[in-house]
Amino acid sequence: MDSLHNGKFNISHETAKEDFSLLLQALDASISGIIITDNRLPDNPIIYCNKAFENISGYSRDEIIGHNCRFLQKEDRDQKERETLRTAIRDGKSCIVDIRNYRKDGTLFYNELYMSPIKGANGQVDYFIGVQNDVTLRKKAELDLRYQQELMERRVDERTKSLKESEDYLASIVQTLRESLIVLDQEFKVLSVNEHFLKTFKVTAEETEGKLLYDLGNGQWNIVALKELLENILPTNNPVEEFEVEHDFPYIGKKLMVLNAHRIELDGQYRDRILIAIEDITDRREIERRKDDFLSIASHELKTPLTTIKGLVQLMQRMVPNEASEKFRAVLNKTAVYVDRLNNLIAELLDVSRIQTGNIELHKEVFDFDKAVQEAVDTIQAATKYHEIRITGSTGEMVSADESHILQVINNLLSNAIKYAPDHKDIDVYLSRVSNFVKLSVKDQGMGIRVEDHKKIFDRFYRVGDIQQRFPGMGIGLYICDQIIKNHGGTIWVESEPGHGSTFNFTLPLSKQPA
Amino acid sequence: MDTKRIMICDDDEGILDMLEIVLEGSGYTIIPVQNSLHIYDVIEREHPDLLLLDLWMPVLSGDQVLRSLRKNPQTNQLPVIVISASRDGQQIAADAGATDFMAKPFDLDFLLKKIEQYVN
Repeated sequence: MDSLHNGKFNISHETAKEDFSLLLQALDASISGIIITDNRLPDNPIIYCNKAFENISGYSRDEIIGHNCRFLQKEDRDQKERETLRTAIRDGKSCIVDIRNYRKDGTLFYNELYMSPIKGANGQVDYFIGVQNDVTLRKKAELDLRYQQELMERRVDERTKSLKESEDYLASIVQTLRESLIVLDQEFKVLSVNEHFLKTFKVTAEETEGKLLYDLGNGQWNIVALKELLENILPTNNPVEEFEVEHDFPYIGKKLMVLNAHRIELDGQYRDRILIAIEDITDRREIERRKDDFLSIASHELKTPLTTIKGLVQLMQRMVPNEASEKFRAVLNKTAVYVDRLNNLIAELLDVSRIQTGNIELHKEVFDFDKAVQEAVDTIQAATKYHEIRITGSTGEMVSADESHILQVINNLLSNAIKYAPDHKDIDVYLSRVSNFVKLSVKDQGMGIRVEDHKKIFDRFYRVGDIQQRFPGMGIGLYICDQIIKNHGGTIWVESEPGHGSTFNFTLPLSKQPA
Repeated sequence: MDTKRIMICDDDEGILDMLEIVLEGSGYTIIPVQNSLHIYDVIEREHPDLLLLDLWMPVLSGDQVLRSLRKNPQTNQLPVIVISASRDGQQIAADAGATDFMAKPFDLDFLLKKIEQYVN
């Protein structure tokens, strides 16, 4: 065994058998599969394999000896590693490849094959030794890793592409907006503006971007009130909303602009930027004003002849001879009713126009709510013969509100109660104080309203389906009521079921908070 | 002549006609004026006890007339009831110094009550 100790296989005659057996045992103890092929025999057959090779391949020694190594590849012959092996065999060189092999049961394993030639005295290759390791797990991990990398790269590419697309998409929206947009940094320096801004103010991007907002144009945005509001946006996050600027702008003249400004609510690189949206409302205001003027004139012109008609009808009512028939009197009375209705319609049209353009002016005064309600009820009661209006409760409060508007609401609710409950004479008005509100309810015993219509009846020009034939109207009375109550900071709503009457309620806030 | 003299200044003929019938029926003497430009002459000549005055009139509006009347010591005490179909009429009338205001269209009984209140 001495020869082994100095690393040489110098097998001596005496110890040859013992040494050989020891070497075979060593080979069988290896966890690497080891084969030897005889290159001198046709098709380079395997002449030796160790235990580990049997384990790795799943074949028994008897099934291995005499075969060329390629049997391990089964049908999977199209592998570039085979070329490497062929070349090495041809040139008598060693090589190392990872090759796909198949066990006896057909399962794939990756074989890390180290092949080395053993040359004879004349340099010819007599044998090849193949050392094999099943590296399936490692290979799989490598493949998985590569697959994951590829997948990741593909995803990153896709994400980048879609980000780019959505950026382009957003940019195209921003550029198409018919509102001017400015982005400011926290120093109020302009970072970017959109196309519409440049068009509206007839300026170039160069004149604008990078400049301080207050230095733009001839200092057109250098407005103390705006400055204060903008300077509050970052520390307090209070947006500037509907800030109107009337200004004689360079190039475009006198314009009315409305500004909205917000802090951009993002962390990271866009943090603390300010977005300002500017809308030119000059034309809109002018159109609104003209419409309002037109309706004022129209209603004035319509009311003038109506005044004459109303006067003359009243005159006729006084001049009715004693012997005139009941029918004649009834016709005359009806004429008077319809003249009043026409007058109300004209007034309502004007109201709607003003509400739409936001021109309801509140002339607030302090008045006794209960007394105002009592007077409204008395007036309506005097005009109705059949119905009986009863007031229950009281608020005991003075309210600060536009009395004529509130009376308009009460009158509307009472008239509706009469109109839609022609066959039920009881109408109840409930007054109460609820927390810091006064509340008024008008309850009728009429036809009631379906739940799905409870909200819609306060919409402009909304008429409940089959109502139109029996009860003509334009559908704006409740809309006006809703707008008036909203303008006062109260709410108006209905509680009703078909066949069980309706209760219309509204609340008005008391100016002082409850103690 | 004990009847009270009521002057009506309105550019609308229909209203002038109607009021004339109504007020004469109630025993008043009516002085109708359709063109507000003539109003000062007519007032000087006719000495009305009360003026019913429209607001929206061509050339010279009711509030302009009223302001002039209030500046003139001879007419600054004249009871003037402004009658107007204009929505802001009440405010305009008050600002110009009207004694009272009535929105068109008005109720005849209401009008007669008001007139009676100021001429007696």
